[in-house]
Amino acid sequence: MRSRSIIGFAAAAGLCAGAANAAAVPKIDLPKDSPVVVLSVDPGDSSEAARGGAMVIDLHAALSLRNATQRRIHGITLAVTAQEITPGGKGSVTLTSLDVAPGETFPVRVDMRLLRPLQASSNVPVEISLDGVLFEDLSFYGNDKLSSRRTMTVSEFEARRDRKYFKSLVAEGGPERLRQEIVESMARQADRPSLDVQVVRGGRATNLDPEKQVQFAFLQLPDSPIEPTEGVARIAGNEVRAPRLEVKNRSDRAIRYLEMGWILRDRSGSEFLAGSVPAELNLAPGKRSPILESATLKFPQHGGQPLAIEGMTGFVSSVEFSDGSVWIPSRADLAAGELQRVISPSDEEQRLFQIYRKRGLKALVAELNKF
Amino acid sequence: MKHPGEHQLALFAGGDIAGYWERWRISRHVSKCGDCQSEVRALSEASQQLRAIAPDLPADLNWNRLAEEMTGNIRVGLAAGEAIARFDRPVARRPRLGWNAALVLTCATAVFLVAFWMSLPQQQAQHLMAALQRIRVERIGALVKPAAAPQDEVVLEASSSSLDVRENDRTMSLTHPHSDVVTVSVSLHGSAGVRYVDADTGQVTTNKVYYAEP
Repeated sequence: MRSRSIIGFAAAAGLCAGAANAAAVPKIDLPKDSPVVVLSVDPGDSSEAARGGAMVIDLHAALSLRNATQRRIHGITLAVTAQEITPGGKGSVTLTSLDVAPGETFPVRVDMRLLRPLQASSNVPVEISLDGVLFEDLSFYGNDKLSSRRTMTVSEFEARRDRKYFKSLVAEGGPERLRQEIVESMARQADRPSLDVQVVRGGRATNLDPEKQVQFAFLQLPDSPIEPTEGVARIAGNEVRAPRLEVKNRSDRAIRYLEMGWILRDRSGSEFLAGSVPAELNLAPGKRSPILESATLKFPQHGGQPLAIEGMTGFVSSVEFSDGSVWIPSRADLAAGELQRVISPSDEEQRLFQIYRKRGLKALVAELNKF
Repeated sequence: MKHPGEHQLALFAGGDIAGYWERWRISRHVSKCGDCQSEVRALSEASQQLRAIAPDLPADLNWNRLAEEMTGNIRVGLAAGEAIARFDRPVARRPRLGWNAALVLTCATAVFLVAFWMSLPQQQAQHLMAALQRIRVERIGALVKPAAAPQDEVVLEASSSSLDVRENDRTMSLTHPHSDVVTVSVSLHGSAGVRYVDADTGQVTTNKVYYAEP
């Protein structure tokens, strides 16, 4: 894709006191026909300092973007790469639950920290590029290298489901019913355990604990087009390795992608969402397919007791059909399977909580009435 | 009847015997002795073959040095043969009681150490290891270890404080401002993410790190 490079950041960074190394200034690279244009870039307090045997570079970019199209933008993903620091990895910043009208501007913050050895080259090219933009009508623009179309589309479907649900609560029992639901949901969120997680690929097993095979239990969601039939993973101490699942397409449409949520249970009976097992496949109606993953999940112990995994539960969290349409669990599915206790609320629900927290119930109802 | 030496026969076969009397004496013996005749014939044939291949030999071939080397090789061969012959001779058995006792003692010590180590609680074992290592460093200094093999693993880590992609001793982190609710997620396809609501803008932001596919 041909690009239009906007390197206004360089000038701004130069003005910044204690500015970062000029070589570390991010390059912002948007395509010529990009649906968003960069109005300004604020480098904030970017800095570079030696710490121990390493050089730490803090980079901050507050971008101001304008919707240059005639359609409303509901999501955007920017890809972030620092090729010289981590050639094997890259990052992204995604904004979902947006509603940006044509010509409107919106901010995007990109905050990064780069750590490299002191003796390494000081040339740290960081590039910010556009991976994709999702519009209100679910059309998409972008090279989609990070599969942002799927991610933002699922988020958009969840946003529509949750807005509809909250509106129905207002219609049923007025704002007080909405308040009750929001408070309950916030309480669930506060009780939800959160763990740090590592994903390791291409490495060696580091845990010397004896390994055991554990079978998956499955939460069967009645409306799900996919039926998980069996699954197993290897567990050693605080590591979970190489899950193998088998699924069956019980819908009348071909499926090209699915994601299984993965809940772990420890010895004390606490459950938490470990991650997801995605699979790109071509699954005709009525057919079965295995899902194999070779990566390892680790749950680092930062003090306290090591995590002792006792059981695993899988559930279908999203499905994409071959025609591009998407299935997600309904609110009833989430409530019936007690998934709400374990999985985090959708992006939109999280945003609505924030409005309730900051501006109160009236503002929340007004927000729901917007669209 | 005394046969001429091999050296003399070789000189005779090549027509290189210096003295007339000596040449007559060997000639006389060879004419009567079948063994020496066949030896002289063989030497003559070898000499002729050598002449035939002479153009193919290196121009600066040092025959004296070659002869010395061959002599040396023969001596080495003889010495090796002698050594093997000595080895094959029966050796007088010595009493082995001392070695046996040492062997039994070593095995018993090893069994005791293994049993002791296995019965030690893990924490104490680690403590002991650390102490032994400290003593070793104090006494003989730190061991110089060979450079670690290059790691080929990329680690993605999501925590409520940051989101890292680590490769060897380099890290790229996507950081986020303090937020009341941070949701951590990972995908086994090779990504880790942190979602938060920006307190200033109210926007839902999801930072992610991925393995970069080649």
